[in-house]
Amino acid sequence: MVLMPRPSRRWRAGIAVGALAVLLAACGADGGGSGDEAGGRPYTIGLSNGFVGSEWRTQMVEGLQAAFAEYQKEGVVDELVVESADTDVNGQIQQIRNLINRDVDAIIVNPNSETALDAVFREAIQQGIKVLAIDQAVTSKDVTNVVIDQAEWARISAEWLAKQVGQGGSILVVNGIAGHPANEMRWGAAKAVFDKAGVKVLTVADGNWDQATGQQVMTNLLATYPDVDGVWTQDGMAEGVFRAVQAAGRLDKIKISGEARVGFMRLWNAGRADGFESIGVVNPPGGAVSALHMAVNVLDGRKFAAGSISGNTVHVPIPYTVDQATFDQQWGKVSGESDAYSLDGSLTREQAAEFFQ
Amino acid sequence: MNVPARLRDLRWAGVQLSGVATVAMLVVAVAVNTALQPNFWGGYALTSNFATFVPLVAIAIGQTVVVLSGGLDLSLGAQVTLASVVAVQVVDGRLDRLPLAAAAALGVGMACGALNGLVVALLRLQPIVATFATSFVFSGLALVVLPTPGGSVPIEVTTAYRDSVLGVPVALLAIVGLALLWRVLRGHRVLRHVYAVGGDAEAAYASLVPVTRTRVWAYVLGGLFAALSALAVLANTGSGDPFVGNELTLASVAAVVLGGTALAGGRGGAGGSILGAMVLALVTNIVFFADVPTTYRQLVNGAVIILALALAGIPALQKRRPAA
Repeated sequence: MVLMPRPSRRWRAGIAVGALAVLLAACGADGGGSGDEAGGRPYTIGLSNGFVGSEWRTQMVEGLQAAFAEYQKEGVVDELVVESADTDVNGQIQQIRNLINRDVDAIIVNPNSETALDAVFREAIQQGIKVLAIDQAVTSKDVTNVVIDQAEWARISAEWLAKQVGQGGSILVVNGIAGHPANEMRWGAAKAVFDKAGVKVLTVADGNWDQATGQQVMTNLLATYPDVDGVWTQDGMAEGVFRAVQAAGRLDKIKISGEARVGFMRLWNAGRADGFESIGVVNPPGGAVSALHMAVNVLDGRKFAAGSISGNTVHVPIPYTVDQATFDQQWGKVSGESDAYSLDGSLTREQAAEFFQ
Repeated sequence: MNVPARLRDLRWAGVQLSGVATVAMLVVAVAVNTALQPNFWGGYALTSNFATFVPLVAIAIGQTVVVLSGGLDLSLGAQVTLASVVAVQVVDGRLDRLPLAAAAALGVGMACGALNGLVVALLRLQPIVATFATSFVFSGLALVVLPTPGGSVPIEVTTAYRDSVLGVPVALLAIVGLALLWRVLRGHRVLRHVYAVGGDAEAAYASLVPVTRTRVWAYVLGGLFAALSALAVLANTGSGDPFVGNELTLASVAAVVLGGTALAGGRGGAGGSILGAMVLALVTNIVFFADVPTTYRQLVNGAVIILALALAGIPALQKRRPAA
């Protein structure tokens, strides 16, 4: 090993101490907060998205960009700062801090955690920034959740299935991820529907909101419970469930609650000749667009009307449902899209304005 | 060279920052970030940047100790997760339980480290594979302890973490504290043994250094710093999440390399790793403020880090040449 001459080491240590001193001096000198002069158009909006592995999220970002461009033309907003990358909670905290440092006026966030971003949301609020959470509600009281009512979303397809199998009918359930907040809300509502309608739930299994897993789980369930009348499942798994039932040759006997995605609708379309019926409730990526409309209203200084907000959550209505009656109309619009495409919808500006006083 | 002289030569290496290259990179990163982000030196930006640094700085110091001993710990991130969920379950939003929660986190971290140390030093399994395997044990345990995100840290803690004392961010003081802790350990016999074992295990053995025990200690200290990282994560997030720390593992290895510590062991120090961790975090900021389109951001981020890793390796190449 080569011995370093001592002066050189001192020199380096000196740089370190010097750098630290400069840093401390800078910290001491500037204690003032940044950019509290919010208010007044044009607004800068930030988007923080911590997961990019699905078509749904891509649609969400692209939809937001399109809606933003219209506002931009009118001079209502000037810049959309997008932070979108696969990351964990620590990474999303950094995303949000970067947006705060960018002096945005409002942040629209699709949160990776229901709770673990609360502290950084408080930082944003303290800098005078409005925060709106979409897709997944968060617990922070400082944040306005702009989400669909997951319970209502589940109730629509559960009621359809209960009617199909009738009182005394027996069904299987393929849920998302046990313990996940959205899963619990959906299943809680669906179970109440089935109990009330006298439908027997034979068993509940988890398919992780994944087509392949859903198919595997359904195949196992069919082997264990050969005599069922229906399956209730959530979005992201209906295609897998369909394929499992199809492979067992029981499409004519087992009713399946479906999803409003092109892949499933393709199967549904092919099965219609043999009398296959289903339902798809839209879980819209366009929630980001609805949130943008609301963000503009909030930044304009308008307050939510008393009846439109409960706690800190605003429920955006579910745009529409695909069923036997509307299938042809909807399928005509989306049949050219890729299998992963989710049917979409969002509030118009006028509809969003009605949520305010 | 006799051993005492060599040890004396190494004594300052850690605090003194293992390479000019690392300091230069930090200076460049700060300069570029300042140029791109006008309010970089503003109160909020400084506080929030340091708050972002602390978890990575702590885990990078832990990884440094393990790497110096000639090992590698791919379970450190999972240890952060496990220690943080245990702590959040213990503290349960109550300030009076904070000391107990911190003790629980430290205990969990050191126990995880001890398990790694035993597996690597006693059973003689390859550190990369063995710690990769234990990482699944730890993240699995974390899911058992806290199946869904939740739990809360007392608001006093999250507020204090973002506060400043006489204009100096608390998070910066935490980093200084971590550096001092390293400095204290550096003067201790265990760390001298770690350097000796990582440099040349057989020579260390011949010099009556307890090689096996030293290796176990290196992993235990790694776990200790992982637990400190967990506490910083909790102060930063304010809540528990059973997946929170897993991405820190590879970042900790990158920070160690950026800091100029040799992955072969025996050479380097945590001073460089601390700066390396800051460089890593700043690169993410720079890519954001440079307005790189979202789709290219990960790509650019990775490319910049590879470039930085290559730069960090240059002094090592020069050292390898015969004395000039």
